[in-house]
Amino acid sequence: MTELAWLTIAQASTLLKTKQLSPVEYASALIAHGERHDPHYNAYLRATPELALADARRAEAQIMRGEWRGPFHGVPYGLKDIVDYQGLPTTAHSKILQDSIAQADAVVTQKLRDAGGVFMGKLSTHEFAIGGPSFDLPWPPARNPWNRDHFCGGSSSGSGAATAAGFLPAAIGSDTGGSIRNPAGQCGVVGMKPTYGLVSRRGVVPLSFSLDHLGPLTRTVRDNALMLDVIAGHDAQDPGSANRAAGGYTSELGRDVKGLRIGVIRHFFADDMQADPEMATSIEAALRRFEALGAQVRDITTAPLGEYATCNRVILTSEAFAIHEQWMRERAQDYGALGRERLMAGAFVRAADYVNATRLRRKLADAFHALFSEVDIVITSNSMDPACRIDDPQALEQAYARQSRAPFNLTGSPAISVPTGFSKNGLPLSMQIVGKPFSEALVYRVAHCYEQATGWTQRHPDLV
Amino acid sequence: MTKVDLSIDDVRTMAEGIGMTGLSDGQLQELLRATLASRARRTALRTATLSLADEPAHVFNLVDRSQP
Repeated sequence: MTELAWLTIAQASTLLKTKQLSPVEYASALIAHGERHDPHYNAYLRATPELALADARRAEAQIMRGEWRGPFHGVPYGLKDIVDYQGLPTTAHSKILQDSIAQADAVVTQKLRDAGGVFMGKLSTHEFAIGGPSFDLPWPPARNPWNRDHFCGGSSSGSGAATAAGFLPAAIGSDTGGSIRNPAGQCGVVGMKPTYGLVSRRGVVPLSFSLDHLGPLTRTVRDNALMLDVIAGHDAQDPGSANRAAGGYTSELGRDVKGLRIGVIRHFFADDMQADPEMATSIEAALRRFEALGAQVRDITTAPLGEYATCNRVILTSEAFAIHEQWMRERAQDYGALGRERLMAGAFVRAADYVNATRLRRKLADAFHALFSEVDIVITSNSMDPACRIDDPQALEQAYARQSRAPFNLTGSPAISVPTGFSKNGLPLSMQIVGKPFSEALVYRVAHCYEQATGWTQRHPDLV
Repeated sequence: MTKVDLSIDDVRTMAEGIGMTGLSDGQLQELLRATLASRARRTALRTATLSLADEPAHVFNLVDRSQP
């Protein structure tokens, strides 16, 4: 049973297609695995075993009839609980929305359903994807499968924890200032924030309209590309959706990186902030690995991290408060303290400051995109530190700011978090690989090449 | 504006001005901290580098969204 928990999508898909593994058997094993271990990790906000088994039985019947839908057919997945699944509450991990029943599927949910995926449940998040980890909400925060006393990152906390713990091989997260890549990095899994507009946001509780992205968290790079293939695509009803062809994200997997020009934004983690020594060392080792694989690695410079972070925060808090203003007037007491404080930061941002931040955003993005005339891919840090303890509010607040993800929400670039090893106390380390807009296939190729050379994603936590 | 420029009473008045009239003292403290952090960000925003030609990122063009 436990072995099924660690199957990759690619492995499971082969077994499912050839009828060596039944979708019902697979889903049942993961349900049992989650029921046994999740009480210690709180990755699920709402597990839905009955829905999973119904999906699995349907997939089994289809596969037995020869109606194979593709690599996601019969594969279990979960949704961060800001994503609508028709008939279930979309709570955003908040008392405010705890009884809010989704009237329709989000676009990503519909795409995963159409692909034959097996829906396992709703996953923990930070309140409205910003306020957490918090202990004053209707549900507890998710914990890190590598050490449950530690934070698992957020805000797609349950997506990272559930994937790392083997409760499912794939989950949807959202990312406004790094909320896919943070839990991916802290939990030792792979998390992709795709290009802005590549994945529809329709049917998802917004945090910040112009910065929100949806994307996959998986245990391997190939699985991540497989899931993005399912969920990417134009949506005419999402105003931010990019009207261009999507797919083919596994097409470059297996190609090497010989001659590829890799630019390193070292000042993010060596000057603008100083990364934890183990984190920095793991990134340096990764860069040497790329050199050994034949890539041309050199430093590049962009705007200071603080400039990006400030710009991201002004835009994020302004747009978020616009969404929450009415609830803040009428139901302020129904928020958790952390979420309320972070959301109230947008209450008195001047209009001119918001507009100027969006002007700076364009400048920062244009300058960053211009770097790709000199390099093919960019590598930099993700979190500056391994996961801190979940019961240390000061460390948590510090960790919230010590990251270099927000720049790529501003630029809209595809950015993936990949594991780079483990700290001495067994917590995952990570880096980001970033590409120019819509270059996800190349980003996956580089990430896959590194993954194959190191094998970090083959390790799994010993669960309580 | 520095920390001493904003008091809890100032924040209460500001909150009431936008209809947030029911905040507890603890919630007003949260709003005070949040507003101070927000003002610090305003100071850090590099607006001096902006020229008249620098338009907001969300300025849009009218593409045809009727096509799927």
